[in-house]
Amino acid sequence: MSQGAEGTEQSMSGNGAGTESTPSKSGLELRNLTKIFSGGVIAVEDVNLTVEHGEYLVLLGPSGCGKTTTLRMIGGHEMPTSGEVILDGESLLGLTPDKRPTTTVFQHFALFPHKSVLENVEFGLKMHGVSKEERRTQATETLEMVGLRELADRKPSALSGGQQQRVALARVLVTKPKALLLDEPLGDLDRLLQLRMRVELRNLQRQLGLMFIHVTHNQEESLSMADTIVVMNDAKIQQIGDPLTLATKPANELVATFMGDNNVFRGTIESREGDRIVVDDGHVKASCVVQDDDRATGDAASLSVRAASVILLDEGADAGGDVNSAQCEIVFVEYLGDLIKLHLSAGGERMVAKVPGDNYARLRGQEGNQVRITWKEEDVQLLAAS
Amino acid sequence: MSSSSQPPDQPGAGPRLDIGEIEEAEQALTQELRTTEAALGGQKSQKSGRGIATALLAAPGTAWMLFYLVAPVTFIVLVSFWTQSTSGFEEKWTLDNYERLFSDGTYWRTLRQSIFNSLIVVGATFVMGLPIAYFLAMKVKNLRNQIALFIVALAPFWTSALIRVVAWRDPLMGRSGAVNEILLKIGIINEPLDILSFSNFSVVLAMIQLYVLFMITPLFFMLAQVDRSSLEAARDLGANWFKSFREVVIPQIMPGVVIGSIFIFVLSMGEFATVRVVGGNTVASVGTIIRLQNDFVQFPTAAASAVVLVVVMMVGVVGMLRFANLREDL
Repeated sequence: MSQGAEGTEQSMSGNGAGTESTPSKSGLELRNLTKIFSGGVIAVEDVNLTVEHGEYLVLLGPSGCGKTTTLRMIGGHEMPTSGEVILDGESLLGLTPDKRPTTTVFQHFALFPHKSVLENVEFGLKMHGVSKEERRTQATETLEMVGLRELADRKPSALSGGQQQRVALARVLVTKPKALLLDEPLGDLDRLLQLRMRVELRNLQRQLGLMFIHVTHNQEESLSMADTIVVMNDAKIQQIGDPLTLATKPANELVATFMGDNNVFRGTIESREGDRIVVDDGHVKASCVVQDDDRATGDAASLSVRAASVILLDEGADAGGDVNSAQCEIVFVEYLGDLIKLHLSAGGERMVAKVPGDNYARLRGQEGNQVRITWKEEDVQLLAAS
Repeated sequence: MSSSSQPPDQPGAGPRLDIGEIEEAEQALTQELRTTEAALGGQKSQKSGRGIATALLAAPGTAWMLFYLVAPVTFIVLVSFWTQSTSGFEEKWTLDNYERLFSDGTYWRTLRQSIFNSLIVVGATFVMGLPIAYFLAMKVKNLRNQIALFIVALAPFWTSALIRVVAWRDPLMGRSGAVNEILLKIGIINEPLDILSFSNFSVVLAMIQLYVLFMITPLFFMLAQVDRSSLEAARDLGANWFKSFREVVIPQIMPGVVIGSIFIFVLSMGEFATVRVVGGNTVASVGTIIRLQNDFVQFPTAAASAVVLVVVMMVGVVGMLRFANLREDL
């Protein structure tokens, strides 16, 4: 049901819930959500989205795309200029953050510096009038859950980044919110911890069965953690889909470029036979079978091919024509252990191919040499106009 | 890396974050860092050449303090133990001055009144200064406006303090002064209020206006440094505006509150000029008493009064310092 982009394929949350084509009363719904700051800056424009309970949703996009503002409007830290925020059938508009059943994990944790870890975690319960013993029990339990029970009496300044983040998590989880909002939660962590926390955080979410809405600019993080990814740019939703769809079938040029490891050909239609178009961008030609598109020869069109779909041909092998293949110079052989990213130049146009890491022996030091690449027509994706 | 997530059907497992061995590695790294830093710090103090250079750099400041602070104070303490004579004092040790002081009811009454007044001024400047500092620090959007408004608030300080004090007396608070005129015109009173001038009330009022900026400034600086996101987090977790202010803001600005309070308490306790001008001869403070004793060449007595005053001030300051750990939090 959710949209906001000229997307091709979409799929809903991966929770195994049945189909839903009628507006459901349960879950979070954003309707025509817009935020314009004083001065005329449009931060969020006409965002429409539904999120189910138990779903892990990631808002993905570059800095300034509107993802954090959207999150803050859900949490009540920012008031929309127009539109609706509805949770379980009730509008949240006009409710201050303390009155909303959502809680937020802030980017730099925002722990209370003068309170101990335990007092930090107890804070939400204290504000809701829970008795002292009950507070202590619940807080200690939650600290146990994140593995920080022994540090209950420390002050935040005496904790490492990873520990502070877990305190921030415990602090919000103890209040049993209906939805957890996370603003770049892994941004302040060391890389190794970041990678580990992706797995653990997602596991925790699954075990709790809670709705998580997670904001990040890291596409790898989004692919690894999300049930549903919402790509935003320029205040608008560009595409909504599950990780597989976004990785293999980006809807438009913005998404294709942002997800990375896509070769985008922006050119004109050279010829059209039925539903098969051939696009020439001046350096490379690619073909694609399109649906519901009536553009003709001479019209502008953009196609993309995943780097992983690019095949390196052996010396002297025949590519079978100049469509869906190119003669390239190797610019850089980027060895990443399990795989190699081959940075190529097809007559000046930058392209990327991904090949297994055991090719390194024969590819090392090949910068400057020529190589012929090709790909299958069915791996070519038509991109909507951005 | 071994997988260490627990199977979901193990009894008592429940949801948890399994972060064990990464955590240990992190801790080991932090520990190593701390020991290295400590080792480096120890090495520094071993260089004796740096000790001499430091001493030379500190010499002028120390000499200044010795001459202008330590020496005069020591002298006053000495004089307080010497004997009164017709031309001043004789260098004969005695405890008479203190005996006389401790049995002088007027002095103690006045001391009590001064302490009371000072505490009122501290409280009043806090109550008035906090909203202004809050507005400046939290509500004014960009830095330039903040500083501009702060300078505007400083405007009274561009005039001589004496002028301001005199202005309080007749033009503002006198029988035919501005306040009385306005109140008469509106009809709130029928007769001019006498309490407004030459009274303890007017003295306290004048001191509040004189010293309020000493409270606004440290409060403003501390409020400007409050972590905004921790305020948002407090709201997010269910605290309304008042509770988040009490739980998050106040603890973070305590150093500013303490500094402002100390400044104002000490200044108010030592007051004599404002008291004399605004209060006339009807109001006394410890400062005016000391002044009077000096005028009558009773130096040892004045010195004893001064010593007692300073001791009381120090007790107050030490008491206030307990509310904030200035070394850490500032």
